Amino acid sequence: MNATLLIIEDNEQNLYMMRFLLEKNGFTVIGAENGLKGIEMALHCKPLAVLLDIQLPEMDGYAVAAQLREHHELDDVPIIAVTSYAMIGDRESILAAGATGYIEKPIDPETFVAEIKQYLPNNL
Amino acid sequence: MTTVRPSVRLSSLLLKLILIAIAFPHSTLVSANAENRIVNVGIYENAPKIFTSDTGKPAGIYIDIIEHIAKSENWDIHYVSGTWKEGLDRLDKGEIDLMPDVAYTAERATIYSFHKIPVLSSWFQVYAKKDSKIKTILDLNGKRILVLDRSIQQEAFDRLSKGFGLDTSVVAVADYKSMFKMVATGEADAAVTNSFYGLLHAKEFNLEDTAVIFEPSTFFYASQAGDPKHLLDTIDRYLAALKKSPESIYYTSMKKWTSEEARFHLPFWLEGVGFGVIVILILSIVVSMIFKHQVNTRTRALQQENAERRAAQQRFADIIEFLPDATFVIDQDKRIIAWNQACESLTGVKKETMLGQGDYAYAEPFFRKRRPILIDLLDLTGPEVEAAYKYVQRKGNRVYVESFIPHLRGGQGAHLWGVASPLYDQNGQRCGAIETVRDITEHKIMEETLRKSEREYRELVMLANSIIMRWSPEGRITFLNEFGQRFFGYSAKEIIGLSLAGTLVPENDSSGRNLGSLIREIGDDPLRYERTVSENIRRNGERVWIDWTNRTVLDEQGKIQEILSIGSDITERRLAVEQIRRLNNELRQHTETLEQRVAERTRELAAINDEQRTIFESASTGIVFLRDRTIIRCNRRLEEISGYAPGELIGKSTRIWYPDEEAYATVGATIYSELANGQTYRHEQKMARKDGSLFWVRLSICAFDKEAPARGAVGIIEDITDEREAAEKLKAALEAAQAADRIKSAFLATMSHELRTPLNSIIGFTGIMLQGLTGPLNSEQQKQMTMVQNSSRHLLSLINDVLDISKIEAGQLELTYTSFNVRSSMEKMVKLIAPQAEKKGIELRISLPDSPVMITTDQRRLEQVILNLLSNAVKFTDEGSVSISGQSENNSLIMSFSDTGIGMQQKDIPNLFQPFRQIDSGLARKSEGTGLGLSICKKIIDLMGGTIEVESQWGQGSKFIVRLFQQAKGEI
Repeated sequence: MNATLLIIEDNEQNLYMMRFLLEKNGFTVIGAENGLKGIEMALHCKPLAVLLDIQLPEMDGYAVAAQLREHHELDDVPIIAVTSYAMIGDRESILAAGATGYIEKPIDPETFVAEIKQYLPNNL
Repeated sequence: MTTVRPSVRLSSLLLKLILIAIAFPHSTLVSANAENRIVNVGIYENAPKIFTSDTGKPAGIYIDIIEHIAKSENWDIHYVSGTWKEGLDRLDKGEIDLMPDVAYTAERATIYSFHKIPVLSSWFQVYAKKDSKIKTILDLNGKRILVLDRSIQQEAFDRLSKGFGLDTSVVAVADYKSMFKMVATGEADAAVTNSFYGLLHAKEFNLEDTAVIFEPSTFFYASQAGDPKHLLDTIDRYLAALKKSPESIYYTSMKKWTSEEARFHLPFWLEGVGFGVIVILILSIVVSMIFKHQVNTRTRALQQENAERRAAQQRFADIIEFLPDATFVIDQDKRIIAWNQACESLTGVKKETMLGQGDYAYAEPFFRKRRPILIDLLDLTGPEVEAAYKYVQRKGNRVYVESFIPHLRGGQGAHLWGVASPLYDQNGQRCGAIETVRDITEHKIMEETLRKSEREYRELVMLANSIIMRWSPEGRITFLNEFGQRFFGYSAKEIIGLSLAGTLVPENDSSGRNLGSLIREIGDDPLRYERTVSENIRRNGERVWIDWTNRTVLDEQGKIQEILSIGSDITERRLAVEQIRRLNNELRQHTETLEQRVAERTRELAAINDEQRTIFESASTGIVFLRDRTIIRCNRRLEEISGYAPGELIGKSTRIWYPDEEAYATVGATIYSELANGQTYRHEQKMARKDGSLFWVRLSICAFDKEAPARGAVGIIEDITDEREAAEKLKAALEAAQAADRIKSAFLATMSHELRTPLNSIIGFTGIMLQGLTGPLNSEQQKQMTMVQNSSRHLLSLINDVLDISKIEAGQLELTYTSFNVRSSMEKMVKLIAPQAEKKGIELRISLPDSPVMITTDQRRLEQVILNLLSNAVKFTDEGSVSISGQSENNSLIMSFSDTGIGMQQKDIPNLFQPFRQIDSGLARKSEGTGLGLSICKKIIDLMGGTIEVESQWGQGSKFIVRLFQQAKGEI
C-alpha cells in the first residue's frame, strides 16, 4: 500500500517538522508550498492523506479543500487541516469546505503522529 | 331551377330536398295572392260613425262605406273589435289592415298611412251635466275632464287647456260610453267627445252639450305605414265617386245614422246675446205672413183678392227691412225675396242686385262663391257645408251657427252669429227660409279683452298677500279682498258698505292721533297721503299696524270716485322696532354700572397681566402666541434665539422659522392634527434664524382651548443647540471608543494567530528533541530544553487567554450546551491539578455529593473555569490546603474554591475580574500567569447566566463561589 502523505504548507519550518515526525514513523512524505502545486501532486500521486494548512498564499486552504473534493478519484483521501486558526467557527468552516479532520497548531510532537493515524484507513 | 340536372344521380335525394326548399316559398306566395282580398278592419264604439249594433253586427257610417267598397272590390272584410286604443295598437302591430275614423295629424302620418279624401269632418265638444254651469273653456279650470285614450282630442284638449292656462285633471278613458256614464254619475265633471257621438247620446245620459267646441278635424281610414295591401287608393277612388252623388251610400248612410234628431238647448251665452230670441220672436210672428205673400205672388188671383194680405206683406217686408240684423229671405226655389239694409251694409251688396237671384247667389257676398250656406243647412247635413262654420247647432227645425267670414269688414274678417229657419205657409207647407246674421266681431274682441283683464285682475286681487280695499271718499268700504277679510276678521257681506272709522280704523290710534280726521284728509287730498302708516284694528280688537299705499280712482268728470288702498301688515316689524328701542334704553341705564365694573375688572386684569408679562419677558425659553400659523405675540427671548429685533416677529408667518416649504407643510400638518386631537405637540427640530442658519430647538405647542384649536395656541421654544452639541459629542466619542475596541479585539485575534506560527516550531522541535527523536540529550541539554518547553507552553497559554478575552469582547464566544455530570468534570480537573499541588506540598480537600449532579451548559468552558480557579488557588497558596466543594441547592449548582493562600486586600477586590489586573502582591510578580484567567472566568460564568463571588482577607486566603442554574434558560 502506498504510504505517501502529502503536506501542503507554505511555512518551511512547519513542513520540515511535520515531514520529520512522519518520516520517523515510516511514512513517505511529499510537500507542496502552495495550493495549486498541492492539488497537482495529489492528483498525480493519490496520497494516503493530505495535510493542509489553511493560511496559504494565493489560494487558501478552504479553496484547496473544495477543489480537491471536486475530484472524485480522491474521494477516499482524507484531508486533515493543520492550522493555527483557532477562532470560533474556524473548525466548522474548514470541515464544511471538505476537510476530514482538524488539528490545531501548535502541534504537540508527542501526539501528532497518533492524531494523523486516526484519520487513516486500517489504523496504519 | 332549369339549370338543375337530375343526371347527377348520386345526389338525387339532396336535389329533391333543394327543390322542395326552393318551391315552397313560391307556393306560399301564390296562396298569399289568393287571400289578398281579406281585409282586417278594426271597430270600436263611436256611434253613429262606427259601433256594434244591438244584433252584434258592425254598423255605422264607416261600416256602410267600407262594406260598399268591399262588395264591389270583392274584399273579404274581417272585423276586429276593441277599444279605440286597442284598435290603434293592433294597427301598429299589423294585426289589422284598416282602422276607421282616424283623424289626420302630422304625428300620426309618420306612423300610419292615410287616403286623401276625408270621410267625415267633425269637431270636439265638451259635454257635462245639465246643471254644470260650464259656459266657456275657462269654466273647466280645476275640473276633472275625460278624454278618449290615444285619441287626438287628448292632445288637442291638453293644448287648448294649456293655452288658456287651465289647471284641469285630464283622464283618458277607453270608450265614449264609459266617459258619458262617468260624467252622469259624477265621477268626472265633463267629457270630450266628437260631435257625432255627443249629438246622438248626450240625451240618454241626461248630459248637455256645452259651448266649448274645438279642433275641427277630418277623419279617414288609416292603414299601416306604407299601406302594404294597397287599400288606400281604392278607398279614395270610391269616396270621390260616392261624394259626387247625393243618392250614394255615403249620403244615405249619413242620413240614416244621424236621422235621430237631437233636441238641443240653446246655450246659455247665446241667450245672453239675446239675438236668437229676437229672431225667434220675429220669425214666429211673421213667418206665416211672408209665405202667404209668396203664395200670393205665385197665384195672382189670390193676390188681387186679398189687399189686406198685401198690406200685411208690406208690413212684414218693412219689418224685415229695418231689422237691426242682416237678414235675407228665400223662397222654396232658393230665390232671394228679401235682402235688408243691415244685410247691405254688412256685405256691401245692394238688394237690387240680389233680389230674385237663385242658385246660391246669397252665398257670394259672404263666401265669394256660390255654395250651400247656413240657410241650406236646414235641408243638408253635409259636413262640407258645416265645415265652414265654427259652430253648428240645430234646435227644432232651426240651425244656429257661428262663423268667421274672412272677406267681410274690408278683408279684416268678421265673426258672425247666424240663425236660419224654414218658413211655412198657412197650411203648414214649407214655403221658404230666412237667415239672419249678426256681426259679433266687436263683441267677441271686447269679450275676450274683458275676460282677460277680468281674470288678471281677479287673480291679482285673490292671490295677493296684501290687503286690497276700495272705499268711497266718504269713508265707506266698497271692496275688501279675501286676504283683507281674513286679516281683519270680517266677511265681505259684513264689512262692505260700513264706514272705515269704527270698523277697521279706531277713532284714535295708540298715540292719540285722531284717525277719523285722517280718513277725511286722505279723501280730500289723496296725493299727499299716497303712503300712510296707520294703526288699524281687527274685529277681535287687536291693534295692528298697516303700511298703506293709497290711489284714487277718478270718474269721467275727474272727480274722486273711490280710493284704492293696498296695505301690508307691519305690526311685527313695528313691534321689533319698539323692542329694540326699549332694549336700547335699558342698555343705556346699565351702561354706567357696567363701565364701573369693567374698570375694576380691568385693574385686576392689568395686575395679572403685569405678572404674566414679567414671566413672559423674563423666561429663559422663547414663548410665542400663534393663530393660523401667524405670530401674534412673542417674548424677547424668542426674538434673541431666532435672531430678530424686538417686535420684528409680530404678524409674521411661522414659515420664517422653517428651512423650506416642505418642512413648513409637513410639520404644520403634524402640529395641527395633534392640536385638533387636544394633544400638546412636543418635538425637537431644526429651526431657521433670520440669517438662514439652522439651530436645534425643543418645541412644545398647546392650544389655548382644546375644544377650539382655531382660537390659537401657545408655543414654548427652547434653544437646545448646546445640549444637542454635547449629546452629539458624547455619541461621537462613544462610537469612537466602540470602534477602537473593535480594532483592539481584531488586533489581538490576529496577533495570537501570528504568534502561534513561530511557537509551533519552538514547541514542536523542543518536543522532538526531548523525545530523543534527534538523538539522545545529556542531562544539562534535557534540563534546558525542558525550560524552553515550559516557557513556550506558558507563552501559548498566554496567547490562548488573550484569544479568549478578545473572542468574548468581540461577542464571538458562543456556548455549546450539553447535559453532563458536573461531579465528574470536577473530579477530572482535580486530577489535572493534583501533580502541581503535590509538588508544592498542598493538601487538596474535595467535598462532592455521592450522586451525579447534572447540569446543562458548555462543558469545555465550565471545565476551563474550574481548572482556572483550582490552578489559581494552588498557585497563590504556599502552604496549607485548597478545598473544593460542589452541591446542588434549589436547582442551582454551588461550587466553592477556597485556599489558605496570600489572600487579597479589600481595595483590590473590585478590580479582580478586570483583564490584565493581576494584583501586584508586592512579590514582584512572583506568580506566573497572564492575569486574564479570572477575567475570562467571570465572562464565561456571566454568559452562562451564573454568578461568581469572592471573599478574601489579606494573608488569610481567598474563597471563590460559583453559582449556576442546573437547567439552562428555557429548558426544564
